[in-house]
Amino acid sequence: MDSYLDILSVLILLSSIILVSHKRIKSYIKTFRIQSALIALTAGIMGWNSLIEEGSLDILVVCIIIILLKVILIPRLLHKTYGSIEYKVEKDFFLNIPLLIIICCGLVVFVYFSVSNISGLNEDHINLQVVNSFSVILIGLFFMISRKWALGQMIGFLVIENGIFVTAMFSTHGVPFIVDIGIFIDMITAILIMGVMVMQINEKFESININKLRNLKG
Amino acid sequence: MIALVNNFIQLLIILLLAPMVGGLIKKIKALTQKRQGAPVLQMYYDLYKLIQKESVVSETSSWIFKATPYIVFATAVVGALLVPITTLVPSARFTGDIILLFYLLALGRFFMCLSALDTGSTFGGMGSSREAMISSLIEPSILVSVFTIGLIAGSTSIYEMMGAMSSLGNPLFHPVFILTFLAMMIIILAETSRIPFDDPATHLELTMVHEAMLLEYSGRHLALMEYGAAVKQLILITLVVNLFLPMDQFIALTGAGGFILSVALYFVRVVFIAVLIAVAEVSTVKFRFFSIPNLAALSFILSFLGFLQYFVLGR
Amino acid sequence: MGLTLWLVPLIAVLLSILIKETKLLHIANVACSFSLVLFAGFTTKIVMKSGVLQYDILGKLYYLDALSVIILDIVVVIGFLVSIYSIGYLNEELRHGEVNAKRIQLFYTLMYSFLFTMILALTVNSIGVIWIAIEATTLASTFLVGFHNDKHAIEAAWKYVIICSVGIAIALVGIIFLHLSSVDVIDHAHALQWNILYDHARELNSPVLRLSFLFIIIGFGTKAGLVPMHTWLPDAHSQAPSPISALLSGVLLNSALYAVIRVLSIVNKNLGDSQFTGKIMIGFGLLSIATAAIFILTQKDYKRLLAYSSIEHMGIITLAIGLFTPLSIFAGLFHMINHSFTKAMLFLASGNILQKYETRKISSIKGLLKVLPISGFAFLLGLFAISGTPPFSIFASELNVFLSVFEDGRIVLGSLFILLLALVFVGIAVTLFRIFFGEDDSEERKPGETNPAGAAVLVLFLIIISVTGLFMPDAMKELITSAQRIIGG
Repeated sequence: MDSYLDILSVLILLSSIILVSHKRIKSYIKTFRIQSALIALTAGIMGWNSLIEEGSLDILVVCIIIILLKVILIPRLLHKTYGSIEYKVEKDFFLNIPLLIIICCGLVVFVYFSVSNISGLNEDHINLQVVNSFSVILIGLFFMISRKWALGQMIGFLVIENGIFVTAMFSTHGVPFIVDIGIFIDMITAILIMGVMVMQINEKFESININKLRNLKG
Repeated sequence: MIALVNNFIQLLIILLLAPMVGGLIKKIKALTQKRQGAPVLQMYYDLYKLIQKESVVSETSSWIFKATPYIVFATAVVGALLVPITTLVPSARFTGDIILLFYLLALGRFFMCLSALDTGSTFGGMGSSREAMISSLIEPSILVSVFTIGLIAGSTSIYEMMGAMSSLGNPLFHPVFILTFLAMMIIILAETSRIPFDDPATHLELTMVHEAMLLEYSGRHLALMEYGAAVKQLILITLVVNLFLPMDQFIALTGAGGFILSVALYFVRVVFIAVLIAVAEVSTVKFRFFSIPNLAALSFILSFLGFLQYFVLGR
Repeated sequence: MGLTLWLVPLIAVLLSILIKETKLLHIANVACSFSLVLFAGFTTKIVMKSGVLQYDILGKLYYLDALSVIILDIVVVIGFLVSIYSIGYLNEELRHGEVNAKRIQLFYTLMYSFLFTMILALTVNSIGVIWIAIEATTLASTFLVGFHNDKHAIEAAWKYVIICSVGIAIALVGIIFLHLSSVDVIDHAHALQWNILYDHARELNSPVLRLSFLFIIIGFGTKAGLVPMHTWLPDAHSQAPSPISALLSGVLLNSALYAVIRVLSIVNKNLGDSQFTGKIMIGFGLLSIATAAIFILTQKDYKRLLAYSSIEHMGIITLAIGLFTPLSIFAGLFHMINHSFTKAMLFLASGNILQKYETRKISSIKGLLKVLPISGFAFLLGLFAISGTPPFSIFASELNVFLSVFEDGRIVLGSLFILLLALVFVGIAVTLFRIFFGEDDSEERKPGETNPAGAAVLVLFLIIISVTGLFMPDAMKELITSAQRIIGG
């Protein structure tokens, strides 16, 4: 089972790097969907394992919730949010895409060097999984910084939450159930609120370029 | 001595199979587009037809124009000598022969770029510059992938790499190799000038990369260039097939029987990769030229991450 | 009895959704917040007698001890006074045509959800649920920050939601590491529960615990307004409607620091001394005070000035608690109380000023004492208070922080601290002089208070902060001392 989890952690990292390399909003949402499906698969495998070993249904329920929320519901919300926006492809970047991808790779190297110096995270297989999932968090943060459109920040936030969830899964086999449920409720509320805010920004500022949100200074 | 003979037998098999792989990919693409498409063996008929025709050479070109088809074909054939189809029988090999392989192919490509400039036509010049850029962008990815596999196999000789990979059982389920496999698939698409790097079936000279360099050739020169490109394609597919989908560890027969079974399994795997390539071609479009660095960077990151995962695993 | 603290805000939210008539809504609002004060008072009495209040629902989730009760009382009292003020404020906004009845309903619904999530953060045992509640406070207050719906408000709300959500996500990483450090010691059923973590603190995995503290201070520090994660604070606190600014500044920042303090006590017990955490907390505290001092000197907008002053005081509290001596922890908690009351009063007064003058610029405010006698007076004295002038309460707590710093032998730290506070005083004094001299030259402005209940609230605040500065009631002293013992061990 561990080797499947290794492969899945690699694929999840891969999906976050592919996310950085896209320019169209539809591709962002599609890649996010694939990443969430991979995470649901990971949760499913771990849940199945915990069901057989300890008889607890917690992680399997969490897996089903992920499928409902992140694979089905949230992409639909995102589609609705960006439906009202005029342009669907992001043209303006701070740095060009190959450079962004190489910086993501640099982030993975950085995480590897940091994590390998912390005892308690240092056993063989856990090391690989934790490095990969922690890199997803940093890559999500980087994605948020590298995009000029407000929608990019929403998706970056979602990727950060994905990364945190996988890190929790891989390092501690999940947090207490009530905390998990609370995290999901918080996340979906956050996305709803951010979606409404993006629509309001679009209305008031005529674009979702966050560089135009610079009136308050000092 | 036996090893060298084995190499030649495998070379003959590659030379025989090479034109069919291209035809197979075209057929699959046609079927997905609900057309009949050309027959799978079409390229053999084309080569036969081309060899019989006269070859027209421009007066303003130099010896490079005439020499290039032979160089391209020769490098492809020598490269094919280096790549074994099966690890069941010993092949002649030496250290570093994978590096020699890729630079032989690069030599062929170098001369192709020069010959396209030789005739003085603008389309040739454009094709050369684009081909040079794509190949220089994809080269780091090739080397990092090759060195990752070499690091795990403990050698840079292709035969030993294939042997090490087949002893791993199922390389694709390994975190390092799944990334390297994806990187190599993108490399194959780049080196064989397929969508999304270049459309092999286009007739618009302004968008051509590989085809632009073949524009001025005719007759036996064209036949040699096309055949060389087909052999190069099969070499790369053979590499991928034997490194990432090894089946030699499952063959219990030895001697001639084992060899024939191995070749048959090889053929099945080549068809599988050809189907993968066809599916990849059909599902995307040719990228804008300035979007190609994105894809090349992605390929480099895939191979680099594969390399990194090797270290993270601590092995 | 303690569960009423959860039920009352939820009932208030329900009522705000159902009741459509404004007058009835105002009455329901005040009734709910008053009952919250009563219930909180009872709960405080119970905690003072028996030390801990814990109920067995949802796996011993409900938990109150002296530390949480102090902050809970601040939340509830300020909530009550703000809700009285809101009546007059919203009626004035209604008269100006800025809001309609539906928006007032939205206001109250969101305000009580906000109060509920803050009370939830303070009354639970599990650090994971504290995280959930604090993230929920961000979500509940986003639309409150963007309530005015103009360009500036939406920009402030967007920055608020993004920066705070990312910060809270980083805090979640810290909580996961906290869980990781305890995975060998505590079984899954009791994971992340504060009192069990505190009991087993010495057995937790130290390197992972240190890493988790780092993430938690950065994450929750974003919510508490520590520099350099503070960039959302001036915008959000200045663009929100004034009663909400009072709640955000006076109450929410405390709750975020509360989460940090809980984890801090575990880490310090594990490591044995407060060197590691002390360096980080003092560093963040000093940086916050310094940055706030610099920005206060050059402020042109009076609400932003108050926001930067919040950053400064949060820095002082962080510094005091990071120092981790008994006197400094006592001073830090005392400062929390004083800052909340003073800042709430200032923001409410500034709300009246904003409604009267319709501008946020300091240079446009002239002749304040004639136009708004009570609010102006409260604002003037409040500015004196917030910069640390005796006899107000902030002076008392800042003095205690000084004493604890110098007692600990940290001369350099102490001198730096005094220097920065002097800078802040200069900055605020300059603003004071600009506002309170000159004649008001506009004809449409009719002098006089438009929010009588609000003015009464301001006077009440003024009395509280003056009295606490001179004389601390025994009950308060006992409560803060037991809280300090919980933190310091």
